[in-house]
Amino acid sequence: MTGTYFVRRVGYGLITLFVVMTFNFIIFRIMPGDPVSLILNPEFSPEVRQLLREMYGLDQPLLTQYFLYLKSLLAFDFGHSFYSRRPVLDELMARLPNTLMLLGTAFALNVVIGVALGIKMAARAGSRLDTGVTGVSLFLNAMPPFFIGLLLLLAFGYYWPIFPVRGTMSVPPPTGQWAILLDRIHHLVLPVTAVTLSGFGSWYLYTRNNVLGALGQDFVLTARAKGLTHREILYRHAFRSVLPPIVTLVFLSLPGVITGAVITETIFSLYGVGRYLIDATLQQDYPVVQGCFYIIALAVIICNFLADLVYGLVDPRIRLR
Amino acid sequence: MNDVRNPRSNPPAGRGPAPLGPFRQAATARRPGPVREVWQEFRRSPRGMLGLGIFLVFLFLGLAAPWLTPYHPLEDQFLADRMARPAWMRYVSRYREAPVTVDLFLFDNWAVSVEENVETERSEQDGQNVLLVRPAGPGPARLVLEHRFEYRAKPPGTFFVQVPYGFSGGPGATATAGLWLSAPDGQEYALWTSRRLGNEVRWTTQRIDSRDMQLKMRLGFRPFANLASELLRVPGEYRLTLEVTFEGGREADAVFRLGESRLRIPGQLHGLMGTDHLGGDLWSQFVYGTRTSLMIGFVVAVIAVVVGTVVGIVSGYVGRWVDEVLMRLVDVFISIPFLPILIVLVAVTGKSLWNLVLVIGLFSWMSVARLVRSQTLTLRERAFVEAARAAGARPAYIMVTHILPNVLGLVFASLVLLVPSAIVAEATLSFLGFGDPRVPTWGRMLQNARGFGAFGELAWWWILPPGLALTVLAMAFVFIGNTLDDILNRRGKER
Repeated sequence: MTGTYFVRRVGYGLITLFVVMTFNFIIFRIMPGDPVSLILNPEFSPEVRQLLREMYGLDQPLLTQYFLYLKSLLAFDFGHSFYSRRPVLDELMARLPNTLMLLGTAFALNVVIGVALGIKMAARAGSRLDTGVTGVSLFLNAMPPFFIGLLLLLAFGYYWPIFPVRGTMSVPPPTGQWAILLDRIHHLVLPVTAVTLSGFGSWYLYTRNNVLGALGQDFVLTARAKGLTHREILYRHAFRSVLPPIVTLVFLSLPGVITGAVITETIFSLYGVGRYLIDATLQQDYPVVQGCFYIIALAVIICNFLADLVYGLVDPRIRLR
Repeated sequence: MNDVRNPRSNPPAGRGPAPLGPFRQAATARRPGPVREVWQEFRRSPRGMLGLGIFLVFLFLGLAAPWLTPYHPLEDQFLADRMARPAWMRYVSRYREAPVTVDLFLFDNWAVSVEENVETERSEQDGQNVLLVRPAGPGPARLVLEHRFEYRAKPPGTFFVQVPYGFSGGPGATATAGLWLSAPDGQEYALWTSRRLGNEVRWTTQRIDSRDMQLKMRLGFRPFANLASELLRVPGEYRLTLEVTFEGGREADAVFRLGESRLRIPGQLHGLMGTDHLGGDLWSQFVYGTRTSLMIGFVVAVIAVVVGTVVGIVSGYVGRWVDEVLMRLVDVFISIPFLPILIVLVAVTGKSLWNLVLVIGLFSWMSVARLVRSQTLTLRERAFVEAARAAGARPAYIMVTHILPNVLGLVFASLVLLVPSAIVAEATLSFLGFGDPRVPTWGRMLQNARGFGAFGELAWWWILPPGLALTVLAMAFVFIGNTLDDILNRRGKER
């Protein structure tokens, strides 16, 4: 049973990946102009052009090009950036750690703050504190993520210049391992806060509503009748029963966090994949654009797949599909 | 609770019992009744009414934009100094004496102070006023025009004067023109002295800019001094003097033509929201941005709802492989990361407003499709649909006349809930630089604020309004949508 479920989910994931790759191919073929004319300066003679077309396989039939394209994407071969002339993969790899650091930290904070606050406020639902916290998180949830970043920048980057306003590290970098680490953290504070503030709201609201729903159910009444403490009821019974959907939300919310990271990296000029995507798009550096997009889409597809998988494992009600 | 009629009113769209006249039932149940009833319930929700109120305020701003501001949001520039504060900040003691904008057209405001041996005549040239100045008789002739104006605010950052003129002289006839500024403390500065004008001088505009380094040096200031704040330092009455002198030649042929001169001292207080980096009016950008945002929000939501409803109904009603394919399509669209795909698509299709709208709409319909599909699945099994089928109605007919009216209520709530995400998506794209450069939007205001130094200067009056408006408007739609959703869903469960 779980086997079929697993196979189906892998199948769906692969279909999506395939669609994304095809989509990529089509989009970058629609792009005005011949790819060679984008890389090369127009003064080259027709012979050289022809040579280059052959070199890049552009003289092949479209279908052959398509399969070559799929093959190279599967091998993470995105070609060379028009600007730096370096392989796109190398460029991406240089930026990935920064993005992962931002994403990882912000995401962990999102989950911890959102879930913890959600449980606490569900326990004292209706109190003034609960109303306040819920109102604030609704407000932050409605606020565009980029505006949260801009507000933080205005407040803590310019009005009270406590944190650096741009970059991943100081130029020139400080000496000494600890100093470098501290410098990195110093640069990460505002971006991480921005992603956290824009993301924790949905976690909070989701957890609060679910726990609140669970608290009204019969098994909680039973637990209370057994004489368990408030704390035990809250964490061992109510929270446990809503754990499965929350676990799924971990993966389902990742695409949103990735989107948030794209914007936040741009606002704080971090050296990451998201900002690279935007810069490359604005500069029409197409190999980089498709490389970035492919990597981001791949990450999202994997997350969705994991979410489905974990949901299938965690929730006993899901069988046979 | 199935088929228990709500005693309070007519059954909402098609939810009544089906035994009698199933066709007529579906058609007649959708009278204004349910709408009024939803409104009755909506009115009782403070959250919903708050949202509606906020929405109406923004709707008013957007619709009335042309009457709320005299300026064009993109074309009117240099209305005041760059990043001028809002005019109401005059009431904050620190800015009480901040420079105000002086913008004088001097054609009618010149006063003649000396008129020696000249005659003047008003005329028109290319639709603009010109003053023709001729020597009245032989010998030297002189005309001095002056304009007095009060300037009592703090010294400004810049000032500009422009004097359009032309000259045609006979053989040997020459003229000279000059412009002076006298300060209340008696200082006099020669802003401009023309060369000796002989023969024909084409119509030109002499521009005097306080940032001109040569001018600063000529007046004896350092090249990096702020000329405007040096010259307009003392509060009081200033005098701008224009002098034209003629010498020699056959007097009748010499004509000096003087056009509409202009003196501009850009102030540091302007309008309701101040100005941007080009001296453009931010309030006009804000209200026209409201218009754009609302329009984009609704158009995107309608596109998404139409696509989603069609996909959902077809998928749910037809079923089988069609359902499978469409639902896989929905899955695929959901798995594609929203913002990156928008960026890539906008980059490919070009930065136009309609491309933006289409692209956002194309990636917003999936949730509606899922919702409508699940609703259709239950409706499909209902008696009135079965009756229609038995009577020989074709699937297309059933989908349009029986299913569609019954999902509209649900769809309406999700339409409202789609608007804020569309607005925010558009603002995000515009902020990142993928917006239509010809359209004023909130995202663009923020992009400019970030790109042109509003942060360094802490120009909060530029940064906060568009962002807070986005937030408040998004919240308003969420409030309205959630309230509607509550009402319609509860009714759905009641049936």
